[in-house]
Amino acid sequence: MNGYGRPPFQQQQQQPFPGFRPGYQQPMHQQQQPGYRPSPTMMHQQPLPRPAFSPAQRPQQLPPQAFAPRPGMVPPGARPPAPQPINGTPFQQQPQQQRPPQSPMTNTMPPRPLAGPGQPPSPMRPPMGYQQAGPLPTPGMAPSPQGIQPSPQAAGLPPMQQPPQPSPMQQPQQQQQQQQQQNPVQPQPGLQQPGQQQPLVQQQTPIASANQATTPEQQQPDQQQQQGDQAHQQRRKRMYPKQVFMEDTNASGNFAAPVSAAATPAYPQMQQPQQLQQPQQPQQPQFMSPMGAAPTYPGSQQPAQQPAAHPQAIQSMTNQMGQMNLGGAPAQPMPSVSLMGAPPPVNELVNLCPPIRLPQNVSITNSPFANCDESYKCCTVNAIPNTEALLKKSRLPFALVLAPYRSLDDNEEPVPVVSDSVISRCRRCRTYINPFVTFVEGGQRWKCNMCFLLNDVPAAFDYDAHSQKQTDRWKRPELNYGTVEFVAPTEYMVRPPQAPAFVFVLDVSYSAVQSGMLATAARTLLDTLERIPNDENRTSIGIITVDSALHFYNFDDSLEDPQMLVVADVEDIDAVKVLLEKLPDMFRDTTNVNNALGPALQAAHKMLAPYGGKIICLQSTLPNIGTGALKSREDVKLLGTPKESTLLNPASPFYKSFAVDCSRSQIACDMLIFGGQYADVATLSCLPHYTGGQTYYYPGFNASRTEDALKFAHEFSELLSEQIGLEAVIRIRASRGLRMNAFHGNFFIRSTDLLALPNVPRDQNYCVEVVIEDDLKTPTVCFQTALLHTSCTGERRIRVVTLCLPVSNSIPELYANINPKAMISYLANKAVERALSSKLDDARDAVVNKLVDLLGVYKAHVLGSAQGSTPQLTIPENLKLLPLLALALIKHDGLRQSSQIPTDMRANAMNLLRTMPLQLLIPYLHANFYSLHNMPPEAGELTEQGLVFPPVLNLTAERIEAHGCYLLENGQHIYLWVGRGVVPQLCMDLFDAANYEALRGGKYTLPVLDTPLNRKVNLLIGKIREMRRGDYYPTLYLVKEDGDPYLKIWFLSHLIEDRTENVMSYQQFLQFIKDRVGSGSF
Amino acid sequence: MLFLFAVIMAALLLFLMVFFVIMFSDLECDYINPIDLCNKLNQFVLPEMGAHAFLFFMFLINGSWLAMILNLPLVVYNIQKVTANRHMYDATEIFRTLSQHKKECFFKLGFYLVMFFYFLYRMIVALIAADS
Repeated sequence: MNGYGRPPFQQQQQQPFPGFRPGYQQPMHQQQQPGYRPSPTMMHQQPLPRPAFSPAQRPQQLPPQAFAPRPGMVPPGARPPAPQPINGTPFQQQPQQQRPPQSPMTNTMPPRPLAGPGQPPSPMRPPMGYQQAGPLPTPGMAPSPQGIQPSPQAAGLPPMQQPPQPSPMQQPQQQQQQQQQQNPVQPQPGLQQPGQQQPLVQQQTPIASANQATTPEQQQPDQQQQQGDQAHQQRRKRMYPKQVFMEDTNASGNFAAPVSAAATPAYPQMQQPQQLQQPQQPQQPQFMSPMGAAPTYPGSQQPAQQPAAHPQAIQSMTNQMGQMNLGGAPAQPMPSVSLMGAPPPVNELVNLCPPIRLPQNVSITNSPFANCDESYKCCTVNAIPNTEALLKKSRLPFALVLAPYRSLDDNEEPVPVVSDSVISRCRRCRTYINPFVTFVEGGQRWKCNMCFLLNDVPAAFDYDAHSQKQTDRWKRPELNYGTVEFVAPTEYMVRPPQAPAFVFVLDVSYSAVQSGMLATAARTLLDTLERIPNDENRTSIGIITVDSALHFYNFDDSLEDPQMLVVADVEDIDAVKVLLEKLPDMFRDTTNVNNALGPALQAAHKMLAPYGGKIICLQSTLPNIGTGALKSREDVKLLGTPKESTLLNPASPFYKSFAVDCSRSQIACDMLIFGGQYADVATLSCLPHYTGGQTYYYPGFNASRTEDALKFAHEFSELLSEQIGLEAVIRIRASRGLRMNAFHGNFFIRSTDLLALPNVPRDQNYCVEVVIEDDLKTPTVCFQTALLHTSCTGERRIRVVTLCLPVSNSIPELYANINPKAMISYLANKAVERALSSKLDDARDAVVNKLVDLLGVYKAHVLGSAQGSTPQLTIPENLKLLPLLALALIKHDGLRQSSQIPTDMRANAMNLLRTMPLQLLIPYLHANFYSLHNMPPEAGELTEQGLVFPPVLNLTAERIEAHGCYLLENGQHIYLWVGRGVVPQLCMDLFDAANYEALRGGKYTLPVLDTPLNRKVNLLIGKIREMRRGDYYPTLYLVKEDGDPYLKIWFLSHLIEDRTENVMSYQQFLQFIKDRVGSGSF
Repeated sequence: MLFLFAVIMAALLLFLMVFFVIMFSDLECDYINPIDLCNKLNQFVLPEMGAHAFLFFMFLINGSWLAMILNLPLVVYNIQKVTANRHMYDATEIFRTLSQHKKECFFKLGFYLVMFFYFLYRMIVALIAADS
């Protein structure tokens, strides 16, 4: 290990930063605000889907080459009608001198003192050499390599009992498979003795077969051993649906009874009665067919399914079921933890979510992939309350968080595709067939799991048209995978699948040229042309440049140079290349400071309207001419006041109405905004918001800094080469009794439950609020998202994502199943909505109130403790980081109480909060903080598990040692913090600088050196830049402890456990929450 | 004569409101998409407010104080909406605000209905007075 540890004589320097003193201040949010809760609204019959826009609008076929001159378009040689020559008109001269700020914060911040009055003088540079011993343990504060030590309180509690992991999925699957293979169509398989395992003959799917590496004989002893262990749990588990049902019919309210006086609070009444009942009715409730039928419910059970005719069969079958360990671990009591006084266990941030505990055999194939992956879709609660009253009582937010079109990681299997266009859907509710349906009548019909209607199985379902053979139904991907893609036949098309088409609207005004944006963009575009999705040579590109006039380009072969002022018809890629090479030179000497974005957009819309496509705007100047002209409206005096939200709302209605027009003609807009000055991100991001695009913001962009140019070039090129989906709609269906109520994300809501997206970007998040309209009487409910889109390859496809969740009637169980990540994503969406419609204060209060609500209900209904103050804040194990994440949310750039966050930054942060998938959102809220000077030896090394990261530190300045070097990253930025007492050897090894004084703060590129430390840090930074989904390329900043104050404040604002400005520290926040919970004001 | 005119106007406004309500329920049933709906309804928003304001103005210059006072709240409400730029239907927000819009339409419908009968009564009273 490299010893960059603290020299021993520096002990007295161990002080937190001034301004971060712990200690409770007065609570900030005194008055109680009603949190947002789903309100019961009118019952609404779901209509059948209809083609969204009338097909009559699009009669003509798409020609392979787009942009050919045609009646609807401006003929070549003519200027478009919209823009008038405005060169002669007087315009406001705007100060054009861009001073590239040192940090993305603008200069409106008053300088803050760097060091507080009590700061000890800067220590001498340590004389110790490089090879000194490892870091000395300093009492209390040295970041231990093992991460955070558990606090005495936490240690006193029983440790969290991890629910037993489901044993390797092979065994149950194998058994099930065998049953199915013996009786491919028969819904009730023949008897099968549990012990008589036969070797697997056929393998079900590629993925499943990968899991079945071991032979069945090897697995048998293991399985038999498990039988004894799991027998009683499994039997109890089998009772569960019945139990739910009985509870439901008997007294749906008795969960409110005092739960337990014992220490383990979680759902005792779920277990104890079951255990009591166990001996008396050993097999009474086991009405389960292997097809996953639910227990009998009035009206839902079909006579054909009644298995009671074969009691023997059921007996042996249920025994067999009892030995399977599938569908998640049996419900274990979720231990509760106390939070106060201990630092949050941030290293557990990665896997927080409770597993989904489905009853056995709820899916017909028992495939481990029957439920979709959490990254595609998850719910705020992994167990659904069975009544509206219970949902209200539990005060849980009920929403889905989905990213149906997310990109795949390198090691992931692609989404299985059903290519024979046999799409079986429910006649009534139009649900796609999925792993949670049941087959009845000898497999001739299937029962919809949403509305329980019986549907015919299509004749071609078991038939392979290619080989002209019967196929095994159980191998069909739609019965095995929660996420599948269907190739859609022509019924799903309003017109022939559109080809990708891109129109670039490039700003060529003075600031765009001066900042080097134009040159970088042209260069990147040139380099990326080959990567733009263009599988069948159908993709078309158009370019419009705009300052105070619009410039169109003719890409005719016969002309040597691209000719300006003519509408583009791109068939020849070389002409585009020539243009792109010449573009920067053409406008090199421009002095035009105007920008007519509105007319340019209208022209682009006109070009694309017959086909649909994508407009990509690169905007460097505030549009100030023609339609959609904007004023520089930022008013520093409004920042931090309730009026601030007016600045975050769009200034001009043009961008909204234009976005609606675009959505109608299947055009998406992406906005890349380069800000030297105020760029009105809030207004311009309207376009991507309603057309399914994305907004990128580059504050203080200057291409002469390689870091800026690199970031932009990377993101722009990723954006262009992204395999987007075109002309898409999303519809979300749910089991009877549930209704989608409100939608958040970048799309246009075209009907009560239909989301229209001209383009689906790969990694965007959507959040959907759900309401319970009817009592849920089934043991499980399903949510199905159908994303109908045209792939870049010109195929119409339907991506179906099915999620099945158990229903519960007990508040403890609901609380044990909260998914904190989905919860925080929902809260972020709601908070942003609230901030825009009301004010930022309300948004923060809403987050805090929701947290208080949750903890209050937990205290009252789960712990059963009386009202009043308690010394501890007790919280279920799965929620232990929710307060931290909530604090991170209200301290985030998008929502923080501050008068120093420029509007553009805030608007951009809000956009990101709203659109980031969970994988990006969590680090964006709660940054990862590593210490570099005392990394454990294995950190930063490549192993078989990939790159090893150093232990995550708590986000507090207490962790920062004066001689230390730290890395903090939130997916958008990476900061390297260098303390002022840093060892010169470390500067040499890491930065190739002689000492601390030789370092320069700001955007930074780490040199590549031949030292272990430098290699490790470079590896870490490289990994951080590529490990997450999304196009973002984090910029590296070097932050010196006494360097640029803005940058330093910016860095410190990520340390959310500290008290910053006037927002509470983590411990104060807990205290505040505890007081609110204790006072019963929830 | 004024109240004859008022009765006709109230009847027109009444029909307009019925049209609005029908359109909103069409939207809920997915018979119309929100863009068309907003384009269609927005044509009528200002004429409706204008007609009502004109009626109010007629009462004002005619000195029909009771009728004027009855209509005053709605005029004030309309002016408030126009000045805050909230009077137009926004296709992007329509599903979030649909229940609000519907409530408002039903309220206006009821109001115009009451007004219609009031004006009818005043018209008959005026006719009888003119006869005798």
